[in-house]
Amino acid sequence: MAVTQSSVAIAPGAAIPGSPGTVAALTAVTRLLVVVGIALMLIPLLMTAYMSLFADGVVTFPPSGYTLSWYGRLAEFPKFGQSLSTSLRVAVMATLCSLLIGVPASIALVRYSFPGRSALNVLLLSPLTVPGVVIGLGLYVLMVDIEIRTEFPLIGSDWVLILAHLLITTPWVVRLCVANLVQLDRSIEEAAANLGASPGRVLWSVTLPMMRQGIVAAALFAFIVSFENIEMTLFLISPGMITFPISVLQYLEYRFDPLVASVVVVQTAVIAGLLLAIDRYVKLSKVV
Amino acid sequence: MSATSHLRIEGLTKIYGSTAAVEDVNLEVAQGEMLVLLGPSGCGKTTTLRLVAGFVAATRGRILVEGKDYVSLPPYQREMGMVFQSYALFPHLTVAQNVTFGLRMRKLSKAEISSRLEETLEMVKLTTMADRYPRQLSGGQQQRVALARALAIRPKVLLLDEPLSNLDANLRQSVAREIRQLQRAAGLTALMVTHDQDEAMTMADRLVLMNEGRVQQVGTQEELYEQPLNPFVARFIGHSNLIAGDIVDADSFRLPGGGVMKLARRYAQRGPHTLALRPERVRLHVGGDAAPPRATAQVEDATYVGGYVDYLLSFEEGSSLALHEPTGATGGTRRAMGETVAITWDSLNERLFDPKGTTIPAMESA
Repeated sequence: MAVTQSSVAIAPGAAIPGSPGTVAALTAVTRLLVVVGIALMLIPLLMTAYMSLFADGVVTFPPSGYTLSWYGRLAEFPKFGQSLSTSLRVAVMATLCSLLIGVPASIALVRYSFPGRSALNVLLLSPLTVPGVVIGLGLYVLMVDIEIRTEFPLIGSDWVLILAHLLITTPWVVRLCVANLVQLDRSIEEAAANLGASPGRVLWSVTLPMMRQGIVAAALFAFIVSFENIEMTLFLISPGMITFPISVLQYLEYRFDPLVASVVVVQTAVIAGLLLAIDRYVKLSKVV
Repeated sequence: MSATSHLRIEGLTKIYGSTAAVEDVNLEVAQGEMLVLLGPSGCGKTTTLRLVAGFVAATRGRILVEGKDYVSLPPYQREMGMVFQSYALFPHLTVAQNVTFGLRMRKLSKAEISSRLEETLEMVKLTTMADRYPRQLSGGQQQRVALARALAIRPKVLLLDEPLSNLDANLRQSVAREIRQLQRAAGLTALMVTHDQDEAMTMADRLVLMNEGRVQQVGTQEELYEQPLNPFVARFIGHSNLIAGDIVDADSFRLPGGGVMKLARRYAQRGPHTLALRPERVRLHVGGDAAPPRATAQVEDATYVGGYVDYLLSFEEGSSLALHEPTGATGGTRRAMGETVAITWDSLNERLFDPKGTTIPAMESA
């Protein structure tokens, strides 16, 4: 249930018995694996960025020339503003709501024992085990049924999307906060109580500030999981209201030009900027 | 003692499921006294401290401070300052904020808080560190912050949970002295927990030795060392040879192997008993010794360890005895292995326990 952080430090030549040759070979293999891993992650990104500079209207290789003009035409991307603002709105709300649910839930799970504790733990993590398409379809059928009975339009509303995204963001919040909490020294909270802090004060003045790193990591994951979601969201959008990843998907269905690549580059840059900004306050390498 | 006792624990019991972690503990601590709970891990000493702090709810019993029963109050209403083994400093607060945490919880005036902060930091010599965070301090400094934080609230009782165990060995002695000094200066009643005998011996006014949830003996260092009430105390405080055998005559103790020891005192009891002898209180018998030889044994092993020679002697069939012979008189010469030696001891250093583990009185000196 708990994700515990572990770090393995391998000191070359110190812990591994054997000849210097073996050690050197192992070090070389490790380096190679690291390089391959980084390459696998970076190549799609670099290719996209590369394509966004092609001058041709249809992506062909090799390109006839290079241009930055696609970036000037971002506004021409269909529903660029609407889909981006919907995605941001939904992601922010889903993040906030899942923190409101997940943070107290993780404190309850770690710090208190009560009947149904393990059932709650399983319940909170269970959406992670169900494919997004299945959740999306299930929700769609449910919403349509409710719409028919109440004649109230649900599909395509912000709140339905936010509620659906809560299903996938809350498990992440709970997992990360639980992992963070189990590492915290219980006696720090006892010290606060010993010094005269009531349980509410302990929570507010000690537990929550100490959970800061976990909460930031949780918010980050929740935001990204919500922002990027396609498979579940597909079922819950309406023609007038789509999310950003879906607008990219729809565009690619009938066109493949460097504009979509430049749109994706901009999106990646926005998220990377967000990460860097957060890293100034909380060292992300420590929390994730 | 009861007239002046400041903290009084009566019949304190904590039962988890079907096992008692702490059973019927009765203690009295005088105003300004340092009482140290000592014992092996799992003996209930830490649970006792946590019961007093209020982190664990008592199954039965009372915890009285100045006559008021605190047993059912939550920890934040107990007015007890605790120093934790891990120090438990608030990592997100500075030294000054850590120290004033309890004062802010008490909603003291700003002027009062800053004057107490200054006073407390001066006491622990951390005035220059007020704006640092705990992670920027050494272990010893963190320990002093923890102590200052507990002292700042002017607690009714100071609780110390293994306060020295996380410090380097060379720091322990000075920190122990410092804690003691501060506690004495403030006239604080203190309850400390440790598993380290030396630490307990240096810090305590009186000691409480616990085992399996029960108090084995309460007393001063001398009382526990010289007059252990049962074999557990004899073995845990210092070291004692515990030799099983039968009292067959007023002053004869027969070992299972058949050999007979001459006891230093005379006893009315007969039958199986345990003889407790401290290694440094038994000596090799040499000509001219006022005491008669009491037993003979063979040298199994002899190790020179500087201040004394550590002998392992064996009697017939299994019984053995450790004996420390000071090197001052002999210059460290050792008896040969296998050599037969006579041993003796003085009447003050001999204790006999009956099968129930209670010490039996001597009739008179032999």
